[in-house]
Amino acid sequence: MVKPKAKVDRKKCLACGGCISVCPQDALSMCGGKAYVTASKCISCAICIKTCPVGAIDEGRDAENGI
Amino acid sequence: MEYDVVVVGSGPAGSVTARFASEAGAKVLVIERRQEIGVPVLCGEGISRKIDEWNMLEGTRWIAGRMDGAHIYSPDRTCVTLSAEKAGNETGYVIYRDIFDQELARLAIKAGAKFMMNTQATSLIKDKGKIKGINAKHFDEEFEIEADVVVGADGVESKVGQWAGIDTLLKPKDLETCCQYTLANVDCKDAYCDFYLGREIAPGGYVWVFPKGKDIANVGIGLLASLSEAGLAKKLLDKFIEKDSRLKNAEPLRFLAGAVPVANPVETVRDNLILIGDAARHVDPITGGGLTHCLEGGKIAGETIGKAVEEQNFSKEFLSAYEEGWKKAFGQKIKRNYLVKEIMLDMDDKTFNMIAHSLKDIKFDEISTYGLVKEVAKKHPTLMVKLLPLLKYRKKFKELKGE
Repeated sequence: MVKPKAKVDRKKCLACGGCISVCPQDALSMCGGKAYVTASKCISCAICIKTCPVGAIDEGRDAENGI
Repeated sequence: MEYDVVVVGSGPAGSVTARFASEAGAKVLVIERRQEIGVPVLCGEGISRKIDEWNMLEGTRWIAGRMDGAHIYSPDRTCVTLSAEKAGNETGYVIYRDIFDQELARLAIKAGAKFMMNTQATSLIKDKGKIKGINAKHFDEEFEIEADVVVGADGVESKVGQWAGIDTLLKPKDLETCCQYTLANVDCKDAYCDFYLGREIAPGGYVWVFPKGKDIANVGIGLLASLSEAGLAKKLLDKFIEKDSRLKNAEPLRFLAGAVPVANPVETVRDNLILIGDAARHVDPITGGGLTHCLEGGKIAGETIGKAVEEQNFSKEFLSAYEEGWKKAFGQKIKRNYLVKEIMLDMDDKTFNMIAHSLKDIKFDEISTYGLVKEVAKKHPTLMVKLLPLLKYRKKFKELKGE
């Protein structure tokens, strides 16, 4: 089974950029003032999920990745 | 569009660089991806009074309150006090970061720099490997900005450095993940900034309470990302506020999140490129403070760029005057405090309590991490072994400063 990829809850994201700076795959970037996951680059390591101070990143279902 | 310099990011590091480069005669453009400089505020808003000596700001509109000293609380709430040399002599300020940033930008504009809002850098323009400027996007419009020097002042998530081939990835153990409330109806007894340490309170970091004048305070938390779980920073901060008698009746005016590099600095110079501020990891790894470095480093960068434009020499070698400059100004301090951070991470709450007990009656007359570390080494020879590498840095540091 494919591991679920990270997904940003845009309502919760406060755009601090922490997830972007720790993502080892460069899968995160700032898009429209919020963090955004490029699903094809995400390796489901969950580092961003743990780093987020407000819990705005979660494991999403594949179809829901990104915005 | 053609400029001598394009600065990506209008935070303090970007604006100060822009100002000094402009004053030296360079044609400078600053681009900012957001719609307003300094907003949203991503900062604890404390700054050392060192900035008074630099005369880089005008007026007092950016000052929210004066800071008389600091209390550091160990896990069992033993208090170590740091205060100004003389009574009435403040050690620093709590500032309005939005006004502070706008004031620095205003002075850059006055010096001749141009600013563009809502403009995001999307990639570097390269010609046979040589950096020639940046590609940018303003809403749906994409365009090129040609420049001899690109300044990456684009923060903790710096892309400019990455595009230039500098490894800017941060390990979770080198990043503090933070959030902060600005609270009203706080019982601020004095103008001291308080720091609370402990594994239960903030693993690998601390909780801070910075009085902001009247009954307002910034109350925030930073945790090491490697010790964090999803949303833990906010959870622990809420718990702290609920339990604190001064804060439990307070209500929030603002909530924000931030990320602070607590790492060794990266390479900051390439041909036609300079990194500065958080993008360069110019942050004290113990306190997480970086504002003074932005100002000091920005001035050095701006002056170096000014000379580069004058001589039309944008090589890594020529721009290295900037790297040498910041290393002399605060590079050794960052290196030393990175080692202290590593040592502190190995300490348990019991050790912190023991240290605080032995320091609680000492009057520290300045806010300096080195003063504290020196006292710890004196009182606890067993910890001395771990601290030995630091003394080596102190020696080098002294040599550099010619002491």
